[in-house]
Amino acid sequence: MSGGRSAPAHGADVIARTSAEVVGTSPVERTGADEAFEIEQELMTINLGPHHPATHGVLRLLVALEGEVVRDLKPIIGYVHTGIEKNCEEKSYWKAIPFVERMDYLSYFFNAQAFCGCVEKLLELDIPPRAKYLRVIHLELNRLHSHLVWLGTSALDLGAMSMFFYCFRDRDRILDIFEMSTGQRMHTRYFQVGGVIQDIPLGFERKLRAFLKEFPSRVDQYEALLTNNEIFLHRTKDIGIVPRERLLELGVTGPLLRAAGEPWDLRKVSPYLAYGDFDFKIPIGTVGDGWDRFIVRIQEMRESVKIIEQALDGLPEGPWIADDRKVVLPPRHELGTSMESLIHHFKLVTEGFRVPPGEVYYPIEAPRGELGCFIVADGSAKPARVHFREPSFVNLQALRDMCVGDYVADLIMNLAMLDPVLGGIDR
Amino acid sequence: MAKADTETRQFPYLPDSDVVAVQRGPEPGGIKGAYRVFGETLRGLKTTMARMIEGPVTIQYPEEKTAVYPRFRGRHKLHRFEDTGLEKCVGCSLCAAACPADCIRVVAAENDPANRVSAGERYAAVYEINLSRCIFCGYCEVACPFDAITMGHDYEMADYNRGDLIFTKEMLLAEPIERTPLRVEGE
Ligand code: SF4
Ligand code: SF4
Repeated sequence: MSGGRSAPAHGADVIARTSAEVVGTSPVERTGADEAFEIEQELMTINLGPHHPATHGVLRLLVALEGEVVRDLKPIIGYVHTGIEKNCEEKSYWKAIPFVERMDYLSYFFNAQAFCGCVEKLLELDIPPRAKYLRVIHLELNRLHSHLVWLGTSALDLGAMSMFFYCFRDRDRILDIFEMSTGQRMHTRYFQVGGVIQDIPLGFERKLRAFLKEFPSRVDQYEALLTNNEIFLHRTKDIGIVPRERLLELGVTGPLLRAAGEPWDLRKVSPYLAYGDFDFKIPIGTVGDGWDRFIVRIQEMRESVKIIEQALDGLPEGPWIADDRKVVLPPRHELGTSMESLIHHFKLVTEGFRVPPGEVYYPIEAPRGELGCFIVADGSAKPARVHFREPSFVNLQALRDMCVGDYVADLIMNLAMLDPVLGGIDR
Repeated sequence: MAKADTETRQFPYLPDSDVVAVQRGPEPGGIKGAYRVFGETLRGLKTTMARMIEGPVTIQYPEEKTAVYPRFRGRHKLHRFEDTGLEKCVGCSLCAAACPADCIRVVAAENDPANRVSAGERYAAVYEINLSRCIFCGYCEVACPFDAITMGHDYEMADYNRGDLIFTKEMLLAEPIERTPLRVEGE
């Protein structure tokens, strides 16, 4: 109890101590105590969440408050644990794809790409160029969709109601595009091992181009509404700064790390799919406060639009799924005519394809950072172990560094700019 | 700001041309802050007011249904041959094997030649889909080699009991009471 005034600020065990001691302390007892003791007594431990609109899901934050100032914070997770990683061990590779899509429910294409890319690497299977481009188009649309949800809900947390409606309006247009090409608005299972399951339909390009033409002006509007808003500036500027070195220590990736000035983006650093073909820039921040995190994501949306436009312009003709009968389902029209195809079809559907033994880690750049899939294959048709490195999970660790010493209102802002998705954290 | 720029250059993995530093935007407070409180708020209102002329994007849902695209995967349908009226499903259970959510139950039986149910040797005596487990992935449709099951376009499946969400063969064979509007290809 002799830590002095600064001790509670970075004492990791404040919560453990205060929750035991604060209860039942009356003001009378406090009057005679020494200063340090008094401060500890004034700490109040509260639960933020698990059901709180500002936690963007079922996240529980155990917060030690001294008045309005956050002195310690501990995220408690696990409320939406789904056991998806474990479930995948019981499913053939083919059947695991719709499962993994449901982890981080805002970046389903990314989850599918991480999984399919990992399996393709284990199989040493090359996917056709058209499939690569189609995947890039859908991935970047998914990034826009994810950032729009982030922008809408984050602005709502800071009191900007109309942003929520505008963002969800545009997000719905993206979901319409997904519905048109894949048949489902979310969790599309469009990516399959070897490529994509169907070609894009007629009229897809026209619809997408109309959207791409209009969308940049929408981003300008959003930016115009927020960047000069005095309240927004006060809420975000110079708040929640975590030094770049500390972020690297914690393993934080994605827009959070880039906002702190580290130009780390896997699309550039180790281009996967067709990202090497496109001309785009990596927006980085300079200070690493809430403002930088906001503006970096806004810029990323503009860059994503550029990537989609280039991918659409350069979309190669040809097959959209690899022609490997050991892995990929035969085309439907062959089922009625070829006995061999029918046998392949039966075998792939009932047993699935076998993957040679090995371990592969395959990282991609998801909207929230590095999403990696790690698969251990044992030679059978089911993975022996599937593990995902979920960016939200790792990034959440930085929340304490962002919030300690600031007001509780800034905690809401920091959490909003952190953009965690609890489905991904708990998986 | 300049400091951060030089630090960026330490990283050889990204050349400077690939990186753009974002703008810092105005600092809050001061005279300009006082201007922003009024001036920029009014300008923001102009932006929001200008959206009014764009008209609403919402629809009056229960009266007006959302149209779906041809590829939309809604409630399943079982099919019959149009000429003979026989069921296409032969009870091979491939769809059940493909289903990631394990929500299809098929019990096959031999066809009686005098009173055929399906075109094949066998038919599905029991065919049930538990829609409360289904994740609408469409793998059943992909798996079925005879196009006997397809994903329809209906999306209004809410019910009061979970038991009512187990769809039997008769329910899946029947035409939906109300047709879901369909968008034309390319709309
Ligand atoms: S759509 Fe998917 S989950 Fe639903 S019954 Fe078909 S295979 Fe099973
Ligand atoms: S619906 Fe198709 S796959 Fe399923 S049992 Fe019938 S014929 Fe076989």
